[in-house]
Amino acid sequence: MLTLQQHIPVKTPTAGQPVITISHLNKSFGKNAVLKDFALTLNRGEHLVILGKSGSGKSVLIKCIIGLLQPDSGSIEVLGEEITTLEHDALDQVRAKVGFLFQSNALYDSMTVRQNLEFPLRRHWIQVTQLEVDHMVQEALEDVGLAHTIDMMPAELSGGMQKRIALARTLILRPEIILYDEPTAGLDPITGREIIDLIMQVRQKYGSSALIISHDMNCVRLTADKVIVLFEGRPYATGNYATLERSEDPGVKQFFQ
Amino acid sequence: MQLPVKTRHFLEEAGSLSAFMGRFLTSIFKPRFEIGEFFRQCYVIGYRSLPLIALTAFIMGLVLTMQLRPSLIAYGVESQLPAMVGIAIMREIGPVITALIFAGKIGSSIGAELGSMKVTEQIDAMEVSGTNPFKYLVVTRTLAAMLMLPVLVLLGDAISLYGAYLGVNIKGATSFSLFFTQVFNNLAFSDVLPAFIKSFFFGLAVGLIGCYKGYYSSKGTEGVGRSANSAVVVASVIIFLIDLLAVQVTDALGVN
Amino acid sequence: MTGKTTNHIKLGMFVLAGLLFLIITLYFIGKDRDLFGRTFILKTRFHNVQGLVPGNNVRFAGIDAGTVRKIIMINDTIVEVVMVIQNKMQPFIKKNAITAIGTDGLMGNKVINIESARQEAPHVAEGDILTSRRPLNTDDMLRTLDRTNNDIAVVAENLKTTVWKLNNSTALWALLNDKGIPADMRRSVANIQIATARASAMMANLDQMVAGVKAGKGSLGRIVTDTILATKLDQAVDRINSVGEEAGKLAGQLRAAVTSFQHDLNQGKGTINALLKDSVMAIRLSNSLGNIEQGTNAFNQNMEALKHSFLFRGYFRRLEKQQQKAAGNKMALQ
Repeated sequence: MLTLQQHIPVKTPTAGQPVITISHLNKSFGKNAVLKDFALTLNRGEHLVILGKSGSGKSVLIKCIIGLLQPDSGSIEVLGEEITTLEHDALDQVRAKVGFLFQSNALYDSMTVRQNLEFPLRRHWIQVTQLEVDHMVQEALEDVGLAHTIDMMPAELSGGMQKRIALARTLILRPEIILYDEPTAGLDPITGREIIDLIMQVRQKYGSSALIISHDMNCVRLTADKVIVLFEGRPYATGNYATLERSEDPGVKQFFQ
Repeated sequence: MQLPVKTRHFLEEAGSLSAFMGRFLTSIFKPRFEIGEFFRQCYVIGYRSLPLIALTAFIMGLVLTMQLRPSLIAYGVESQLPAMVGIAIMREIGPVITALIFAGKIGSSIGAELGSMKVTEQIDAMEVSGTNPFKYLVVTRTLAAMLMLPVLVLLGDAISLYGAYLGVNIKGATSFSLFFTQVFNNLAFSDVLPAFIKSFFFGLAVGLIGCYKGYYSSKGTEGVGRSANSAVVVASVIIFLIDLLAVQVTDALGVN
Repeated sequence: MTGKTTNHIKLGMFVLAGLLFLIITLYFIGKDRDLFGRTFILKTRFHNVQGLVPGNNVRFAGIDAGTVRKIIMINDTIVEVVMVIQNKMQPFIKKNAITAIGTDGLMGNKVINIESARQEAPHVAEGDILTSRRPLNTDDMLRTLDRTNNDIAVVAENLKTTVWKLNNSTALWALLNDKGIPADMRRSVANIQIATARASAMMANLDQMVAGVKAGKGSLGRIVTDTILATKLDQAVDRINSVGEEAGKLAGQLRAAVTSFQHDLNQGKGTINALLKDSVMAIRLSNSLGNIEQGTNAFNQNMEALKHSFLFRGYFRRLEKQQQKAAGNKMALQ
């Protein structure tokens, strides 16, 4: 929907300003209330980790942020736009600036790696030449160190490689915010470490903000500026890794054992 | 009053399928149009199904002819064999058999494809990538199935008739032109057009139900399998229901 | 990109092939239904269209010339059939052509056949009504055929018996050597012929009279307007009729027998020569001849009696007078 030129942000919030503000968020499925009066603020350049058990509503939260799920009530402001009330086209414009790394990678298995990476590019940016596309695909693949896989199918790649391709696809739009949904889940510790390193490299290179959902303590320790412990649909505890590690609260302590 | 669980599920399913169809119908005419993906799907759904349809249609024509021959000989009207087979194929066997084979091949593949895309969050990824997955996946596939099945039915009819021609010639001798003349002299528009029109609905049913089952697939590999399976079963049943409806409509219109 | 183009080409060919078949199908059906050629309308009327339906073929000289478009009831007995005829047939169909409903094969669809009449006439024009012929009904035809078949079976059975008898005959020679028998036969035949002629003449008269009686004409008519009498009269006429027929048949058979015997005898050979040895058969034949003579006599007596019956007296008397007036007429009753 945007040209390459338009995509350069006009009103970029300066460092430290909030890019995501969530307040009074409620979401329930049937009688099961997943998020209860949830609130959080992600500032520019910050890496925020949401720590929680499986089924604690982490994924629901992240899908509400990107507009895949509609919350029952509450406000979600992303880059100054109220997501919950946005029209479809406007929502797409916000989404173009927010990357989402899916837990299951969500690579299109009927497409090659190149087509996978081209897909969001061509979708969001109509006016882009083939040359520019080729260049951006190449760069994104080099960022994750998998330039040689460009013509392979996702099924031919290992789990770790798939994760990196998925990250490359997220990065290709140069997002201001990246949402990581369990980036190390299902990977062996070594591959997981590689992914964590990649997240750090991306942060360094693009200076993007990130919201990371994880219960992998290694990942939390290495990537988090700030940690929010999600428990029973509410932000149970907030702090940096070091302070939370020293916490005596049993609800917090269980993660650090 | 509380309805029995199964009845409630059935009504729920029927309702959401209808809503799904309504969404499909309104989405067809609204931009953005996924032309490229539509053509790709036409190729996959239509062209790639041709060998299977051709094989079954050919065998159907041949077998039907050989099965009908003894009965017609018993009535002394063996010369009517091409006419009988021609009408049977063009009116009923061609569209229905083709649609059922199509449901088996395309319904299940759409159900499984969309089901696994749903389970592996590919549909969500599409949504996030500035693409309406309903338009990109559902509308293109359903429309392609709807438009390609009639073409397949026509080609299947032609191949079936050729099979019938060979079937006639196994035990007798008929020139191609006599066979051709006999078949077409006994056909009327009312034989061909209702069959042609109903095959659009067959295609719509197969595509829409495949997409519906896949799009709302439950989590896990089992869910994907169930989507594919029930897509075929439901589509096949609906094909017969449409067929029943079609014959009632043509009857009521007096074009039967 | 090239792969994509190839796919599009394949898809295009696929769709075009399908559409081509559709178009061919529709074209041939339409051609059959005269949808694309120029046509004109002809009409014809029947009392009974025997299940003709719109869409049935119309043939001229056995060639498909058009189709039936619609069938309209004009009144309680007349049905009008509107036909669409190809223009190219127009120069060949004349205004006096005759239509008839036929069947395509024994069990096939109904068709209308248009046949030319021998006489010259101008060409047909749009909307002309052609005359029709009463259709040949297959049901009737089959019924007649069935009856004929039964008759033939009976005749064949009889013929078989006769031949068998002839084959087993031993004494026909003796019979044939009897010079008297042919003469007797000839005489009988003559008698029968006279009787038959009389009977038939009387039949004609009776028919006329019965007609008159039924119409209530003449003095006799007045007497017999009573329906019981009329019925009796009818019965009498019927009986006389059958007697006459029997006599005629007998005469014919006898004449044939005599001719064939004489022929064989003249030739002096043939199967009959060898087989005529049955004396019983000879006696039987002689008896039959006697019976025939008796029958003829009885018939003549019947006739006499009829003449004197009060009903017919007046009639026969009048007939006598007429005959006396007619010079040189020796026929029938004195």
